[in-house]
Amino acid sequence: MSKPTSLFVIFFSLFIMSEAVFEDQVGKFDWRQQYVGKTLFAHFDSHSQSSNKLFLATDKNIFASFNSRTGDLLWRHVDKVGPEGTIDILVLHGQDALMVVGGGRLLRSWDTNMGGLNWEAVLDTGSFQAACFVAIQDTVKHVAVLKKAAISLHYLTNGHQKWVENLPDSDTVQYQAVYSGGEVEVYVLGVVPNSHLTIIAYSLEDGEIIKQVTWSVEAPWLSSVESSCVVIGQGVLMCVDPATLALYTLPIQAEEAPQFNQILLQSLDLEVSLGFQPVLVSSQPHPARSPISEFFLQLGPDHHVLLQLNADGYTIAYVTPFFFFFTSFLFPLQACDINLFSADSGRRLLDTTVIFPLDLNGGKPFKLYVHAFLKKDDSVDYRVLVQTQDHALTFIQQPGRVVWTREEALADVVTMEMVDLPLTGTQAELEGEFGKKADGLFPMVLKRLSSQVILLQAWLAHLWKLFYEARKPHGQVKNEVTIETLSRDEFNLQKMMVMVTASGKLFGIDSKSGSILWKHYLENVQPNAVFKLIVQRTTAHFPHPPQCTLLIKDKDTGLASLHVFNPIFGRKSHIAPPALPRPILQSLLLPVIDQDYAKVLLLVDDQYKVTAFPSTKNVLQQLQEMASSIFFYLIRSDQGNLSGFRLRKDLSTERIWEVVLPTEVQKIVAVNGKRPNEHVHSQGRVMGDRSVLYKYLNPNLLAVVTESTDAHPERAFVGVFLVDGVTGRIIHEAVQRKARGPVHFVHSENWVVYEYWNTKSRRNEFSVLELFEGTELYNSTVFSSLDRPHLPQVLQQTYIFPSPITTMEATLTEKGITSRHLLVGLPSGAILSLPKMFLDPRRPEVVTEHSREENLIPYAPEMPIRTEWFINYNQTVARVKGIYTAPSGLESTCLVVAYGLDIYQTRVYPSKQFDVLKDDYDYVLISSVLFALFFATMISKRLAQVKLLNRAWR
Amino acid sequence: MLLHGRLSELCIFLQAMFVFACCFSDIESGPIATSGSVQPNGDRFKLEGRAIVPGVKTQDWISSARVTVEGEEYIGFMRTDGSFVVNDVPSGSYVVEVISPGYKFEAVRVDITSKGKMRARLVNFIKTSEVIRQPYPLQLRSSGPHTYFMKRETWGWTDFLMNPMVLMMVLPLLIIVLLPKVVNTNDPEMRKEMEQSMNMLNPNPELPDVSEFMTKLFSGSKSSSNKAVGGSKASGRPAVKRR
Repeated sequence: MSKPTSLFVIFFSLFIMSEAVFEDQVGKFDWRQQYVGKTLFAHFDSHSQSSNKLFLATDKNIFASFNSRTGDLLWRHVDKVGPEGTIDILVLHGQDALMVVGGGRLLRSWDTNMGGLNWEAVLDTGSFQAACFVAIQDTVKHVAVLKKAAISLHYLTNGHQKWVENLPDSDTVQYQAVYSGGEVEVYVLGVVPNSHLTIIAYSLEDGEIIKQVTWSVEAPWLSSVESSCVVIGQGVLMCVDPATLALYTLPIQAEEAPQFNQILLQSLDLEVSLGFQPVLVSSQPHPARSPISEFFLQLGPDHHVLLQLNADGYTIAYVTPFFFFFTSFLFPLQACDINLFSADSGRRLLDTTVIFPLDLNGGKPFKLYVHAFLKKDDSVDYRVLVQTQDHALTFIQQPGRVVWTREEALADVVTMEMVDLPLTGTQAELEGEFGKKADGLFPMVLKRLSSQVILLQAWLAHLWKLFYEARKPHGQVKNEVTIETLSRDEFNLQKMMVMVTASGKLFGIDSKSGSILWKHYLENVQPNAVFKLIVQRTTAHFPHPPQCTLLIKDKDTGLASLHVFNPIFGRKSHIAPPALPRPILQSLLLPVIDQDYAKVLLLVDDQYKVTAFPSTKNVLQQLQEMASSIFFYLIRSDQGNLSGFRLRKDLSTERIWEVVLPTEVQKIVAVNGKRPNEHVHSQGRVMGDRSVLYKYLNPNLLAVVTESTDAHPERAFVGVFLVDGVTGRIIHEAVQRKARGPVHFVHSENWVVYEYWNTKSRRNEFSVLELFEGTELYNSTVFSSLDRPHLPQVLQQTYIFPSPITTMEATLTEKGITSRHLLVGLPSGAILSLPKMFLDPRRPEVVTEHSREENLIPYAPEMPIRTEWFINYNQTVARVKGIYTAPSGLESTCLVVAYGLDIYQTRVYPSKQFDVLKDDYDYVLISSVLFALFFATMISKRLAQVKLLNRAWR
Repeated sequence: MLLHGRLSELCIFLQAMFVFACCFSDIESGPIATSGSVQPNGDRFKLEGRAIVPGVKTQDWISSARVTVEGEEYIGFMRTDGSFVVNDVPSGSYVVEVISPGYKFEAVRVDITSKGKMRARLVNFIKTSEVIRQPYPLQLRSSGPHTYFMKRETWGWTDFLMNPMVLMMVLPLLIIVLLPKVVNTNDPEMRKEMEQSMNMLNPNPELPDVSEFMTKLFSGSKSSSNKAVGGSKASGRPAVKRR
């Protein structure tokens, strides 16, 4: 009994060895970039003068703090995805940041210094409308939260509710704003669209409606307080009516029933641009004080006026003292400038103009966050955070210097590909030597010699560069990675990562350093678009440039468009993609290549017609020849329908099979084939008795995962169907009872691994299906779905996994010799590298001689999770959405990119680095041993000579 | 590690024997309206607890930590003093975990009845109904930082010398080199003694020695024969005899 255990221990230590990261490898070939998403609210820390903190709340339900000097993330709090975590408002007061979360579900107060929570209070149900601080005599003690039907007041120190009051007539009146003027009343403004405005005053002490100040003001022109009104000065509501082009003022805190006072814009000599809706902008510098009485009126896309409300509250003049205000004039040009205006004169301060160039491949700016401060010499300085349409944030300093830029679009990567880098000139020449035909012995020798000379030259140049750089001071050596200097490295470990984000911005990122080499913003991409990235031509076909095609499909209409580009430079290709007038159902990349070495992409529309891209004569001819062997499948998950088609010679299609999974019982959640670039090295497994168990390697196999429509824990189930994509034959079906999704699964080689939630035992379980042909192969030379009479043997085993998972992927290597690992993304942000050996359905319950010889680990119900197997150690990737694996030039090495909120790139060695010297290889030791041996032989030789001589004399 | 696991298992077993068997029926999740609940939100409850990392100030770890209930179904954040509250959790059974990239925390299963009664117990995925009580409000104590890294194999002289292969090589070498020096072979008495001992080793003195026979058969020169049989243990003898 002791023998197997010791064996097991040896196994274990082997795994540990093969998996873990060493501490000195940190940051050597891995990097992480953290993102937060599209900014909704941004605040500068105005608490202290020297502070350089920036607080952001984003559409990804994240509250984050940045260092505004460098743009580095200080801390970040990631809340739940979806409407339950949305941030409705973020307001700052001193060190505290107040946030209403989840459509008025929770009220949170954060300590911005420590990044911890002060308190969290549960709010009454009802959709959130507005929130504001309530101050009495310059000290803020309360916060008021306005809901659709109620208003509540909370203490700032502990979040406890002081009072909550229902709003009268909340079914007809839309309450939209809350205002506190530093007095003992809180005013709530509501509107009945196109009828009248309601103002209610609540007592701060007990929440009672102060009888005298509840009015309804006739306002037939007003539809929304939020969009057309601001509060300025000492409680004056200022509204703009775009129809009559007039301003309306209303004193909120008046003693008797107030009336709107109309001021026509014409009377102020102001004109609105044609078709433009005037917008009011006001500023409240301190929550405890009332807003300043200066305000902006935007009259056109590039026309703003600074106005001031006079003390009597009825007339409007242009001037007054004391505060600074800003605006921006955005030109649809290559640059954008920001000007600082003085409220003193309404004139532009001369030396405060900031002009910054706009990225041609980026979006237009649409929001500015300005941080103004007084310098030591009492002059005004300011910094601006510019948010552009492509979700990028740029922080700009006074003379127009860009301090930092954050590409927040990368927080939502949808799909990605890794493309090999091009060869350098010398490399290409060397490669060319092997490609050309042999033309005699002598020229071949000459060619060889010349290529060796080239190599020597390159090496000398490299040495010279090293020497030259070594003399330079250290700071300057930092060699910038640019597109021009990019070239493939020895083992093809450095690649170009082409990332597609949900906002429609494409990025090209160097996989070694993580620096963004190119970006391209696709405007007019719908927010619900789905993307598919296809590499049509790799870099291997010099002089043809590599070519990628992005299929952008509108989810609702199904209409699609193609964007063809060069993945190395990001430039749009001059090749015109075909027009796609009909909705696209399916796309497939054929191994057929045209005369320019581009793979052919077939697009199937809703009339089952096929469009080929590229569609040259050559391609069409090839397609006609091959038509009878081109099959594809379509999934209609809403109808529970899976059907297979064959291509006809005229590029129309015929249906050859159909599988219906009744939608009343179950719905198709996912369908997955195998990766086309996957290689399987060994056809079978050698068993303990020296016989071979052949794998069932059907390249057309589809794994279809279904979930039951019945969600009851006793009756819920998860189904896995293995369907042949050519014939429609169901090879195997497995049903997991008392289980529900989300199902994550990987389909590779001859196995399918899937994970589901066991509703009975309330745990996550992994199940593995492995398919074998048996001990004899039916047709060992070629696989054909049409000629396989025997169904494969299916083995299955299930294990408990002690954590939920968010995504799963298998490692991939060049030739498939290296053993496989599963990369599992956990909700904690860790990426676990789980050896496939643990998920082997042949793991025996009782250890036998044979199983030991096969290196099978004895079955254990619970799968281990060891922190040493986390490939990203403490560099967690929040909300892992996908893991991309790509083979490198080294068989042992697999490149891994995990993306979600963050992006993490690393390399994994599933079977250790067997084909390259380890990075801790001790050169000093080996050379010292060699030298020692050399000297020892020298000395012993000398000694032996002396001895011989002595003997001869004897 | 293994031993530790065993010990803790034993502890669990012992504890399980003492655990008060309370009749907690399997809880079905789902909205069941209750009037006298802890919170105004009807059938939603709050989970409370506190996490401690011994020897580390709270501000050094709370900003990167959070509390997850059953994956990411419900999320809570750490307060500045290390305590936490997860609001709006309906009744059911959940695995509650404090997740921090720096420090390790044990997960706890929390059961909430439809009336809002709470109970915490150890997570056991194999025996899911086993109850080993934990304190509630949760008291989670970190067992230290995560071990993400393996130690590099360092090279030292002692490692090299204590290697069994090296020991096996070095010891015979010492014997071969040192023994002839220590034992004076020229001393006739000693020679006699050695011969005797050799004869004792040889079970049958009458039988001709194989190696001797072979050397006589093949070699003309003395030196080469000496070398050829140098590997075997018995070879030392003929050489000695000849001298």
